[in-house]
Parts: sequence; structure tokens; C-alpha cells
Amino acid sequence: MIEIEGLTKRYANGVEAVRELDLVVEAGEAFGLLGPNGAGKSTTIGMLTTTIRPTSGAARIAGQDVVAAPLAARAASSVVFQEAVVDAALTGRRNVDIHSRLWAVRDPQTDDVAKALGVDELLDRPVSTYSGGQRRRLEIARALVSRPRVLFLDEPTVGLDPRIRHELLDVIAGLRDRNELTVLLTTHYLDEAERLCDRIAIMHLGRVVALGTPRELRDRLGREIVEIRVDGDGDRVLARLRERGIAGSDAFSVGSTLTLPLADGAATDVIAAVDGLELGVLSVGVRRPTLDDVYLRLTGGRLAEAA
Amino acid sequence: MSSIAEVVPLAGASARRPGTRRAVMTLARRRFALTARTPRELVVPLVTPILFALVIAPALKTALHTSASYESYVALGTVGLLIPLNTLFLGIGSIVDRISGARRELLAAPIPRAALVLGNVPVALATTWLQVAALIAVARARGIQFHVVGANFLWFGAAVALLAVAFAGIAETLAARVPHQEEYIARLPAIAIAPWFLAGSLFPITAMPVGLTWIARVLPVTHALALMRYGLLDDPSGLHAVWRMGSAAQAAGMSLAVLAAFAAVLLRVAIRVFSRSATV
Repeated sequence: MIEIEGLTKRYANGVEAVRELDLVVEAGEAFGLLGPNGAGKSTTIGMLTTTIRPTSGAARIAGQDVVAAPLAARAASSVVFQEAVVDAALTGRRNVDIHSRLWAVRDPQTDDVAKALGVDELLDRPVSTYSGGQRRRLEIARALVSRPRVLFLDEPTVGLDPRIRHELLDVIAGLRDRNELTVLLTTHYLDEAERLCDRIAIMHLGRVVALGTPRELRDRLGREIVEIRVDGDGDRVLARLRERGIAGSDAFSVGSTLTLPLADGAATDVIAAVDGLELGVLSVGVRRPTLDDVYLRLTGGRLAEAA
Repeated sequence: MSSIAEVVPLAGASARRPGTRRAVMTLARRRFALTARTPRELVVPLVTPILFALVIAPALKTALHTSASYESYVALGTVGLLIPLNTLFLGIGSIVDRISGARRELLAAPIPRAALVLGNVPVALATTWLQVAALIAVARARGIQFHVVGANFLWFGAAVALLAVAFAGIAETLAARVPHQEEYIARLPAIAIAPWFLAGSLFPITAMPVGLTWIARVLPVTHALALMRYGLLDDPSGLHAVWRMGSAAQAAGMSLAVLAAFAAVLLRVAIRVFSRSATV
């Protein structure tokens, strides 16, 4: 449903925001682009929605080339933007109505869709009176009335308080049950990507550095992680652990925290070996790998810090 | 709340595109609705021309001992200020769209970029006509006389419409290039007011030094005002001052052609600039 081949965007100031991106998102798939601000996620969405012109490469939405046939590509898709993109002075119904007309929808079923998203009772109020969560729900309702084959959700929960964010995640999770709708979601929240997406591409500096299901990505780091906090330079301690054969090449450190993936072997053996050395260990923990560990391993920086 | 999977219509059932005319009509209706909710955009441009027509023109007539026709002359001259101010004020809406409105949603729609510019033109025309009608009604109520001969009113109507389209084009171009409202507003005097003083609004262009007269002859407002006075006062002096040849009807035709060319070119430039700014 979404085919991307060698897509590159280089801005006039020389910044290469997206580099040689290759992706295929299957019909009905919920696909996540995960990465910090500046990773190239929004530029990718911009090229797919035809507001950013690719420097090179190609992309097709429902078989329509975004450069050669931008109107046809846009007709097959809808977007929910990172920030509020509404006519706040108009009612919710008018906002949805404008979308329906511009996408040539004959029977928009506005009330039904609004009811499903819990904004049916707000439709006749100006959007300026909506809360942030209500407005975002309206924007999703608006995007859905045109029955898109592809729905782009660009950081849909940014700026929302935790309760509204979780409510909205339920709504978006509900969209996955529609197997004819392809969803491309960008986010820098790991839990969001893990919960909502069938597959995830981790982007870093404009490139995809990992691609797979959340489980496949986590499994790359083995069954368990030993996390060690030390008093001092983590890199120096990691070097000593490697010398002793306790840490492998997949281990990494950030500041004073060391992460040792365990593909095989027991965590207790690693902890015992570390205890036998004078490393200034402050704490040791064992846990299952997360997407954060995957990202950290691939990019050397935590998502939350980079975002 | 119903399950979204149960209620949301089937994806892919639509994927249609509206015709450009339908898209422009939808966008025009949207702009009408937004403009109606910001009445200052309609009222503010009207204040200065009405002040000119009702207070300053009669005062000038008294102070300079001119005839009653001077009031009519200035009353129509103020239309040349009203139209640029009105259309340029409407351009602020395009900046608001971009900064805090639904611009990105409209850019994601399956419609040509040109429709987003063209959709604002009917609103510029409608509000211009509303304001011109209000100005003329107020002037008539103040005792200012107009003199329409036959179908000459059409020259007035065409001049008003074409000048509004030309300045709508300028407004859209400026709005696409200027990042903030403050900068946009700061440029309005140079674009709307300075040319108006040179365009024969308060006195014939032949009263100015020769160099300025030549500048006046290439200003669209000069041609528009000459046509308006020909149409509503049966006064061809403005047309003769511009062309210095031919009959009044010939001169009116040439001025109308000039005005139409300005409107077409400026609108075309607006579409081009907007389309370029909309895709980076």
C-alpha cells in the first residue's frame, strides 16, 4: 500500500533529513516510524503527503506516485497532524464537512464516525471550545470520513495529558481492527509504537537503522538484559568487562549505566562475575529488553533524551 | 462510545477527487464562514474611505471653494483605497490559515494548489461589492450625487471587480511570502495607500509633475478610478488624462484591458508563489 524506494530529502541548507529510505508497508498494516525529533519521520510523512518534494527516490501510495500523481495519492490518504490543524472558529461539523467535500465523499456518515470517536455531542460547537483531546479526536474523525486507504498519524499524542493520551491510544488501537486501513504512525514514544504497530522502523539521522515487529526487534537483544549502574565512567568499566569476557560486542554504556544483553547464559553468572571485580558498582538489575534498549544499541542515545 | 471498528466506513470506498470548480466553491464557502466570524476584516477597511467621503471631501470642497462635483470625485476616489485595503486585509486570513489554521489539511486534500488561492477570490469580490455598495449608499445619504448614463455602469462594475481580483492576487502573494501578520500589516501602507495618492484619487494626475504622471499611468488603481468615474459620474477626464487620445469609449476599453491584464498576471503570480511555498 505504501512503497518507498531510495527516498531522499536534502534541504536547501544542505541538511539531509531523509537518506535513501526503502520501505514497503502492506495493506492493512499498522506501521510505526520510531525515532527522536530530527530523525526524519515528519519529513518522510511530508513527502508521502506531497507537501515536501523528494530530492530523489520514489514513493507510491495505493499505487499512485506522490510526485507524478500527487492528487491521486492524496485522494487515497488522510493525515492527522502533530499540531492542531483545524479552523478553530468553525464548528466541528463544518470542519468535517469541508474535508468531506474536498475528498468528494458522497455519504460522509459524519455523526456515526463522530459518535465512534466520542465527539458527536460537540460537533455543533466551535472547535475553539474543545479541549486538546477532543480536538485531536475530531481530527481523527475528520480524517476517517473520507474512508482513506492510508491514514497518516504524525505524532498523534504529543502534547496531550496522560489520561487523554491513553484514551486516544485506545481509539487508534481500534483502527487496527479494520484490516483494510493501512496506518503509518510516527512517534517517539516507545509504548505507543509497541502497542499500536505491527511493524516498526527505527529511524536515526534520516536512515532506517532497524526494521521488524516489536518482538523481533527486542529479540535481537536476547532473552534478558543485565543493567549495571557504576560510580564513574561507564565506558571505562565496559572496557574492563570486555577484557574479562563478561561483556560482548553487543553491550553498551550510556553515562554511568551499562547494558549487557544476554543471548544465552544466566544473569546470575554475569552478576557474580561483576561482583568479583572492583568496579564501583552502585546497582545491578535484570529485566527483559525493551525497544528503548534496541534504540540505544543502534544509535547510542535514549529516545526520550533525544526527543 | 461505539467501537470504532464497527462504525467507521470501509476504507478505500471513496478515493475520489472533486472537480476544481467544486473545490473552489467549497473553499470559498469556508473563507466566507471564517470572514463572517472576523468582522474587523470587513469593518476596518471601510472606516478610512467613509471618513474621506463624508468628512474630508466636503471639508476640502469648502476650504478650496470647489464645486459639488468634487465631493463625487473624491467619493469615487476613495473606492480606490477601499478595494486595496479590503482585499489586503482578507489576505491576513491566509497567514492565519498557515500559522494556526487548517492550511496543512487543505494541502493534503486531493485538489490543485491553485484552488486554494482561487477559493479566496470570490470572497474578495463579494466583500468588495458589499463595501463599495455601503460607501456609495452612505455617500448618497450625505447628498453626494452620481450620474450614470446608459450602460456606463458596467465600466464601473468591471473596474471594481478587476481591481479587487488584482489586489487579491497581491494579497495572496504577499501572504505566501511574509512569515508573520505583523510584517504583512507593515507593508500595507506602501502597497495600498502610497499608489492611491498618485492615482488621481483626490486630484487629476495631470496636476502632478510629469514624472509622477507617467508613474500614475502604469498604476492599476489609476485605470480603475478613471473607469469608475466614467461609469458612475459620466466623467471621462481621467481616461483622457491617461491615454491622451481616442474617444472616451476607446480609452475605457484600453484601461479595462490594462486592468484585466494586471488582474490576470497578479493572480497567476499569486498561484505560482503559493504553490511554490506550499511544497518545500
